[in-house]
Parts: sequence; structure tokens; C-alpha cells
Amino acid sequence: MTININNSNKKKSNNYSQLRYISSAVSVVFMLVAIAFLSINGLNWGVDFTGGVITEVQMDPTITMSEISPLLQSALNQNVNVIEGGEMGRWILRYAEPTTGIGIPDITEVLAPLSTNIQVLNTSIVGSQVGQELAEQGGLAILVSMLCIMAYLSYRFEWRLASGALFALLHDVLFVLGVFAALQLEFNLTVFAAILAIIGYSLNDSIIIGDRIRELLILKPNLAIADVNNDAIGATLSRTMVTSGTTLMTVSALWLLGGEPLNGFSVAMFIGLIVGTWSSIAVSTTLPEFWGLNARHYQVVELKKGGYED
Amino acid sequence: MTKITNSKVQRKRLNHYAGWKYVVLICTVLIMLLSAIPTIYGEDPALQINHKQDQQPALHVLKQTLEGSNIAVKRIDQDMDKTTIVLTDLSTQTRAKAILEATLPADDDITLALVSAAPSWLQSMGLKPIKLGLDLRGGVQFLLDVDMEPVFNIRAQQLVDNLRTDFREEGFRGVRISINHNNSLQLNLPTDEAKVTLLKLMHNNYPQWKVTQSSGLLVEVGIPQTEKTDIINLTVQQNLQTMRSRIAELGITEAMVQRQGEHRIRIELPGVQDPATAKNVIGATASLAFHELETVRSGSMLVNNNDGIPIRIARDAILGGEHIIDARASVGEIGAAEVNITLDNAGGKKMSSFTKHNIGKPMATLYSEYSRNADGSTKKTNNIISVATIQAQLGSQFRITGAGNMADAQELALLLRAGSLTAPVTIVEERTIGPSLGADNIQNGFSALALGLGLTLVFMALWYRRLGWVANIALIANIIILFGLLALIPGAVLTLPGIAGLVLTVGMAVDTNVLVFERIRDKLREGRSFAQAIDCGFDSAFATILDANITTLIIAVVLYSVGRGPVQGFALTLGLGILTSMFTGILVSRALINKLWGRDTRHDLKV
Repeated sequence: MTININNSNKKKSNNYSQLRYISSAVSVVFMLVAIAFLSINGLNWGVDFTGGVITEVQMDPTITMSEISPLLQSALNQNVNVIEGGEMGRWILRYAEPTTGIGIPDITEVLAPLSTNIQVLNTSIVGSQVGQELAEQGGLAILVSMLCIMAYLSYRFEWRLASGALFALLHDVLFVLGVFAALQLEFNLTVFAAILAIIGYSLNDSIIIGDRIRELLILKPNLAIADVNNDAIGATLSRTMVTSGTTLMTVSALWLLGGEPLNGFSVAMFIGLIVGTWSSIAVSTTLPEFWGLNARHYQVVELKKGGYED
Repeated sequence: MTKITNSKVQRKRLNHYAGWKYVVLICTVLIMLLSAIPTIYGEDPALQINHKQDQQPALHVLKQTLEGSNIAVKRIDQDMDKTTIVLTDLSTQTRAKAILEATLPADDDITLALVSAAPSWLQSMGLKPIKLGLDLRGGVQFLLDVDMEPVFNIRAQQLVDNLRTDFREEGFRGVRISINHNNSLQLNLPTDEAKVTLLKLMHNNYPQWKVTQSSGLLVEVGIPQTEKTDIINLTVQQNLQTMRSRIAELGITEAMVQRQGEHRIRIELPGVQDPATAKNVIGATASLAFHELETVRSGSMLVNNNDGIPIRIARDAILGGEHIIDARASVGEIGAAEVNITLDNAGGKKMSSFTKHNIGKPMATLYSEYSRNADGSTKKTNNIISVATIQAQLGSQFRITGAGNMADAQELALLLRAGSLTAPVTIVEERTIGPSLGADNIQNGFSALALGLGLTLVFMALWYRRLGWVANIALIANIIILFGLLALIPGAVLTLPGIAGLVLTVGMAVDTNVLVFERIRDKLREGRSFAQAIDCGFDSAFATILDANITTLIIAVVLYSVGRGPVQGFALTLGLGILTSMFTGILVSRALINKLWGRDTRHDLKV
């Protein structure tokens, strides 16, 4: 009977394993593509990081971008980035802090020839030094959190298992950054926060599968590692789907209703949740398998007694 | 025998929570609910008038004045020395202030404020609404950079002057001293004796400075890092104080002035719509000092006066602006604007002893202003605003005339009153969020939260049926506790990314329950009874729940400590959300499930 079950399991699990290996290969390709986009396009850093000025204005919806741009260009003496805002007639103007003389001109005055009813909704002026410092701080934050997480993982898990979770994490972050580079979406402070949240979420998923693997390795030490992985993924699949599903629902709600300022955050989270779920199922278990993780790594090892060793 | 008793004990305790646990859980949720309620009412814009006792403005006059200008008044509260006018519309607040300033006596202090709109019984319990960040409330935010370079440069310059004098007195010639770019001193000494003298001088007279490098007769002295840190801390503290008093001049009750990082100051002015006024007060860093006029070149400098005529004054001031306690503009006897200055005790003594021997001599008032150049370096502009003849021995109270017209005098007085700055401060970041945008952000954020919550509740109820309802109750308890905590924790601020964190929490909070429910399903499939499955499910899921949440908690802590402003708000709600979701997901739902199905021995039921 035992043999029977194992046999039927094996057949199924071989299929699953193959699927996992293929999807891991796909993920590696994704990562390479993401890296390519990142290195070719680069990220479209927001004012938070580069320094500069962002002004959001509300005006008559009939005024077009081609009317706004030239006025600003001549007034500010530089290329002004005019971006459509969340609704009609709302524009986001982005430009570098004028280097000479009088400082930042009054946008309502500059655009006065178009309409007298122009409302400046918000303005952000960030010094270039501040932006640079923020970028450094952000890098530091990622570094510190990675170190803390690695310390925690290596304390709780065997290194082979931990490496899978870290690989999945790297995959998720690279993928989201790759999308932001490919579509040239603005990478601002809230997107940065989203990236960190994705790191947390991606780990969360991988850890839950890792927990199951650990449990199974201790419980059924004779099962092949590929089968253990398949079983663990199978056992946690419905949980993974439900949690990803509810989180994806709430993030979609945020995307839908959260408005312009949270757009980047929602997009990053949305992509991050999907790839995070994918990677924890498809990728996170392959690497430990590759390293040769097996039940011995989780067996209670008896202290060596003189002469007794096998 | 033993075995049987054991299993009996176990069976008795299976899925049982002691009564006190229920009391604690219910109390927690109720207290948090109470704490969360004032947030629903929100805050009303208000004007606060501080007046002298027995000089309260008549209530009906206030009301008529404002309503006559189309400003709706909700309520007016009056104490002995304070009147609070609650308005209905935030956009009328600034206008109302201007109107009242014109009608009320000049020494009444009018400040913009926000007051809780919750019923008074809630307010009397000390419960306040959640503090909203600038991105939700509208206002102006500045980030100031305190430039330490001049502070260290001045110290180096002083040491150079002092050492030159010292060497001259000791009879050494040919000592060459220069200041390095990092404000350390490079000394080129003529003899070994000079070096010995220098080391003795440094040790006895200038303990702040240390010899950092010494090879032969070349010596470098600098300020050690620990000492530098102390100086930076003191300077930033002094600037914080100055900024606070300057902001107080603007009359914004909710203003926040906070140190950020080593040498930055963050100022948040909620409700301020026009950054220009605030900027003038914050950004212009002026200092005032009184100098003697000089005729010889050594130890003096040339500074232009208002008409562009250079005047030679002593480099060392008789008295610096830090001694100024109060400065007020007024109209003098001959009708010209003047600034009346009050000095502190030490300043008064200095001024008194100097003027005693110098009656009839001129004294220059040096006004220095720091501004930032296009290339980012700070520029100091010196200007002599008056040269006055000392008419008598001055004490701690005197006046300067010739500061320009009344408006100039007022501005000067304002800056002087706020104190003096030794380190130039420049604005490196400025953000303005319009009030309508802030309101939009709240509206958007909360509708997203409502939709996300609604979808999650419906999904859980459908997917897990009876257990789903438990998860839903736990989720609602979670939200209540989160809001309650946000209102209770001092310094907690809700920002737009913070709301995003709440929305995310809603989606992820059910995870705890999902993990448990999946385990329960597993155990049921293995053929256990419902009650047993519940017990095993909670037990076996616990380690996983802990593991899964700790990593996100690490992220939240790191993000909170490194991030700032809105992102800090996100880290706060994310981190708190994880803690509360573990509390409700494990304890609250277990308590409910225990009561409902704790003894349920059915095997064949679907959950």
C-alpha cells in the first residue's frame, strides 16, 4: 500500500517537478530581461531622489499640453516635463530648480495667457543634495533590512532553504524594477516603500512554503526532496492563493480609488504580489533542491560519542 | 492510570479560554473603539484668541463680524483669557484670522488651530482624533539645512588670531599659520622651542583643539570628531529653538519643528497655504551685532552701509545678537521707525561697560544675512544698518533708529526677537499641499480602504463560510484596534501612504486566519473531529504565522527608522497592522471559535 501511494505520487510529482523547473527557467529569463531594461533604460527617478520641482495644477480641461509646454519652456528656460494628472485639466509639471537668479516663478503667472483660473494644488521643491541623500538612505534601508532578514532566516532555516527564499525575493524586486524601467514609470518614495513591502510579502510567501518543507522533512525523512517540495507547495497552495487573492483585491481597490499620488505604489504592489506569488511557488523551492537539501539537514544530530560513528 | 487522568485533563482544557481572557479581549476592543471614535468626527478649523483677562471680546460682535464677511461660525468657546472660534470651513480660516486681526486689539494673539469635533464627553476623556499628516490636511513643509561650515570656520579664524597674538607675546617670529579646507590649522613653526610653546598653549588655553599631525616643525591642529559632534548638536539645538520661536510668531498652533538627521530641521505648517510669508520668516537668517568703528586696518573689516558707503568697523563685535531678548518696532519721537531692543543680563553688562567709556563715539549695527547661492554654497551679506552715536551709557534697554520704514523695522524686530543664528540655515526642500488636494487624498484613501475591506469581507464569508465570519469579525476588530492605536500612540501620524499601508494590512491580515483555517481543513480531512482539528490547526499554524510576520515586521521597523514623513506613516501602519492582525487573528478568532465550536465533535462537516 505504501509503495502504491508512493508510485502514484511519484508520477504526479514528476510532472509538478518538471513544471517547477521550467517555470524557474522562465523566471531566470525574466530576471535577465529585467536587468537588461534596468541597465539600458534605467529607472525614471522621481523628484524625491533627483531633486527638482514638481507642481500640480488644475485648469480648464480644454487647455492642451501643446499650449502649456511652450509657455513653461520659455519662462523657465529649460525642458519642462508636462504629465497628465489623475483627471481632465489636471497637470503635473516637473522641472529642475532654476539655477540662475530669481528662483521659481509663479506658475499661475506663467500660464496666465491661457487662463486666469489656474489653481496650484501642490508644489514640491527638493534640493538635489537632499535627493541624493535620500537615495543613499534608501539604499542603506534596503541593505539593513536584507541583513536583518538574512540573519533571521539563517537562524530559523537551514541555509539551503533560506537561499531559495532570498532568490525568490531578488527575482520579485528585479522584476518590479524591470517593469518600472521598461515603462519608465516614475520611481518615487512611495514606490520605494512598495518595493520594501514587496520584499516582506515575497518572503512571507516563501517562508510559509519553507516552513512546510521543514515540517515534512522532519516528518517524512525518506521522501525524495522533489516530492517534499511538491507536497509542501500543494499543501500551502490554497493558502497562498487565498492570501494573494485578498491582498490583490485590496491593492486593486487602492489602484482604482486611491488616486494619483498612490498610483505608483499600487502598480508596484500589484506587480509585486503577482510575481511574488509566482516566485514562491515556482522558484523558491528549486534552488534548495539544486543545492541538495535533504532530510538529513533537519534531523536531530546526536552528539558524537567516542568511537561510534557511521 | 496516569495516562487516563492526563488525557482527561487535556480533554477538559481543549479549546477552552478562561473567562478573564474574554474580559480582557472585549475590554481591549471596546477601549480601542472608544479611542477610534473621535477620528470619525474629525477636526474643525478654529481660531484661538489669547487675550488679557477681563478683556474678552464680546461674543456676539465676533460672530457678527465674521458672519458679516460670509464666514460661517460653528461655535465660540470663551475662557478667562482664551476664546476659541470654531469654523465650519477650513478655507475660511486664514481670511477669518485677517479680519479679526484688523478688528481686535493689537496685543491679542490670534492663532490658527484645529479642534476635535467629537462630542465633549469623548473629549473630556482625553481622546483625540488621529493626527493627519500634511499630505492629508494640506499645508507647507520645509526642510532646512544648518550649514556648519561657517561655524567651524569662525572657530578656526579665532584660533588663528589668538595664536598669532600668543606667539607675538612669547616673542616668536616667523610662525606661519594657514587654515585648511577642513577648517583645521596648518602651522609652520620656526624653531623647536616654538613647537614646545605651541603644544603648551594648545594644552592649556585651547583644550577643544587637538594636534592631529606633527612632523618636525610642521604641525596640524584640528577639532576632534567628538567635539565637532557636540558643537553640531548645540548649534542645531539652538537653531531648533530659534525656529520654534519664529514659527510661534506665525501663529500656527499645530506647527511642528523637528530635528532630522545630523544637521537638518524639518518644519511642518499645517493649514498654511501661502509659503511665501512663512519662508520669509524661516528662510532669512539674519543676525545682528554691534561693532565699534575702527580707523586702522588690523583687526577690522570694511562693510557697506545702506547707501553703499564702506565703513571700517572692528572685526570683533562688542555684543552679538544672542543677547537680545526682545525687539519691538515702534514709532519714535520724531515720527521715524525705530526698534526697541532689550538685552539679557550679560549683554546688558557688556553694553553698559563698553558704552561707559565710549560716550560720544559712534557704534555700528551690523546686520548679516545668509542666503544660498545658485551653486548651493552659502553667501553671507553684511550690511551696516545704522551708525549711531552713543548718547549715554546704555543699559539692557536701548533703541536703534534708522532701520528704514515701519515695515522694515517690523521685519527686523521680528527677526531679532526670534533670536540670533550663528550657523546659516537654508531651505533645501519645500512642499506645499493644497487643502482641497489633502481632502481629495483622504476621500480617495478611505474609499479604497472601504472597497478593499468590503471585498475581503465578502470573499472570506463565501470562501470559508462559518469560519469566514469569524475571520471577518477578527478583521473588523483588527481595523478598530489599529485606528484606536493610531489615535492613542503619541506622535503617530496618518499619511496617505499610511492609508495605503492600512489597505494592504486588510488584505494581509486575513492571512493569519487563512493559515489556521487551511490547517483545520487538513486535520478534518485526516479524520479528526472539528474540535480537535481546531486545536491542532491553531497550534501547528502558530510557528508559521510568527515566521511569516516577523520578516515584514523587520521591514517595517527599518523603513520607520530610515524613512521620514509620508513613508514613515506607511511603515507605522504596516508594522502596527502586523501586530494587531496577529493579536486578532490568533486570540480574537480563537476566542470566538472556542465558544462556537470548541466542543463540536462532528467529523463530516465542510469548512
